[in-house]
Amino acid sequence: MSTPDTHLHIDNVSKSFGDVQALKGVDLEIKRGSFVCLLGPSGCGKTTLLRIIAGFENASSGRLMLDGTDISQMPPHKRGFGMVFQSLALFPHMSVAKNIAYGLKLRKVGKAEQRDRVEELLNVIELPDIADRPVSALSGGQRQRVAIARALAIQPPLFLLDEPLSALDAKLRDNMQIELRQLQQKFGVTTILVTHDQHEAMMLADELVVLKDGEVYQSADPATVYQEPANSFVADFLGAANLVPANVSKDGHVTVMGQEIACDTGHPVGTRLSAAMRAEHIGLVPASKAKGHPVGAVKFLRDLGPTTELVIAVDEQDLRVRCDNATVPDLSIGAQVALSLDGGRLSVFKA
Amino acid sequence: MRVGLLPTEGKSTYRFMVLFLATIGILISSLPVIVVTIMSFSGSDNTGFPPPELSLRWYWDVVAMFTQEDANSAQSVVDSTVTSLLVAFIVMVISTMVCIPLAYALARGDRRIREGMELLFTLPLVFPLVILGIAFLLIAESLRLDIGIWRIVIPHVALVLPFVLRNCIGAMNGISVETEEAAISLGASPLRAIWDVVIPLMRAGILAGLIFALIISFNEFTITFFMYTIDVSTLPIWMYSRTVSSLDPSTLALSVFIIVADIVLIVLVDKLIAGRANLF
Repeated sequence: MSTPDTHLHIDNVSKSFGDVQALKGVDLEIKRGSFVCLLGPSGCGKTTLLRIIAGFENASSGRLMLDGTDISQMPPHKRGFGMVFQSLALFPHMSVAKNIAYGLKLRKVGKAEQRDRVEELLNVIELPDIADRPVSALSGGQRQRVAIARALAIQPPLFLLDEPLSALDAKLRDNMQIELRQLQQKFGVTTILVTHDQHEAMMLADELVVLKDGEVYQSADPATVYQEPANSFVADFLGAANLVPANVSKDGHVTVMGQEIACDTGHPVGTRLSAAMRAEHIGLVPASKAKGHPVGAVKFLRDLGPTTELVIAVDEQDLRVRCDNATVPDLSIGAQVALSLDGGRLSVFKA
Repeated sequence: MRVGLLPTEGKSTYRFMVLFLATIGILISSLPVIVVTIMSFSGSDNTGFPPPELSLRWYWDVVAMFTQEDANSAQSVVDSTVTSLLVAFIVMVISTMVCIPLAYALARGDRRIREGMELLFTLPLVFPLVILGIAFLLIAESLRLDIGIWRIVIPHVALVLPFVLRNCIGAMNGISVETEEAAISLGASPLRAIWDVVIPLMRAGILAGLIFALIISFNEFTITFFMYTIDVSTLPIWMYSRTVSSLDPSTLALSVFIIVADIVLIVLVDKLIAGRANLF
């Protein structure tokens, strides 16, 4: 049952294209005013799900409930959701002002009010002087902001974005992520963004939905998804975890790479598991003080400024390690080093 | 760095060949126009080349043909010109009205259907024009209907469609589905999105198609030769009738008028669409 602050309820939505099942019973409740990121590799169904919400595709089964009303059969132009497309899809034959005012013109808003609204939005996106410019005269970041302004001009109940930042270069993308988040907070609009970039999803989302093969693998706030991934795919997809075999050696303990660690898994003794460790959760100890810790050889070493990235080979397995520069011992390639693992930060899944 | 049109490096024979072929090409395509233009200024009654003396007498003849009633001629040049212009205009409107929705449907539809349809509409191009003329004549005669100017309009539309369609499809290819969906997401009905977004973005291709239709129809001879009647005839037919027994130099002066009109039209459209579609 939907709670009162559920804005959109995606009720058991499935979609097939011929024999291919793009979505398998997706069930999500999206809170009013929240920023939801649909995250997954290409082909996971995230864009299909967004297009179903926008109305450009029809679900094969299931319903979409907006504020308790079934909108599954409503044509897209009646839904009034603002959408920002991957290609931005600005109208190249219109000026910036006409682009932003297009949705208002369709709603038969008066000329003076259109002008006021465009001016207001241009101020919000901090580009007050570009109203009369053709779209072709804008830079990538400016186009981005105009596309967002155009979608927000119609004061949509839902704001949908399909990988809108993927065409920007890395630095601009970083800035736009912060701006987009601030805009969303300012307008308080319920927002759904599709991305394959886990960093972007972490930057923006209140709620992160990880999809794979048309199924929701995990749906939670970003910190939870990162710290407590529900399965090995999520652990690996978000911030590339090291996945190593483990097994339950005795009650409340698992053995990983020969080391016994206190970790309550709830599985019976002898269960074969797979353990995920974040690169930054592995500590380095000089090999001389190993004391039962797994020992490996440094294969790769690179100082990135704030952190150092290492690859350490333990029993034929390469592990990614990220250390604060303050804590990294003096190492060189080929040197032996011991790894300290923290049971509280270990995620274990049934293999 | 911009790559030069002419190779500045390499063997001189290569450079010579490029220049030689280019010159031949330009000569072949422009020679008829040059000859006709020079001859139209001839001062003598025969059509020997080069003209022994120059005058504007044939131009005055053309002006006289259009301004004075000619009792000798079965068909007047004024009637033929009006018919030609009217046919060209109707052909232009019909072919564009057919091709915009067709191009939209083909560009957004199944790829295989699109290739098949394009082939179908290209048929009149590969068909020998004489056979096409006979075919249309047979159809028109078996119908036993007096359809007036449409005897010529309908075959012209068939002839012009592939050119207009190709231009419209080319224009459609540059318009992403997302642009249309953006309009729809902002509240435009699918039809409104086509009107507000697709048609304006197709403008260059549509204009190129319009001019194609106009020029091809206005200059068409072969099929029209089978289809014309005493009442409905076009300017090329009239010009042919004036040259079939003995070449009348006033026809050449008239040709120059038509060439100038064609060039003006092409330049105008080229300016209008500013390289956003190709005319040829």
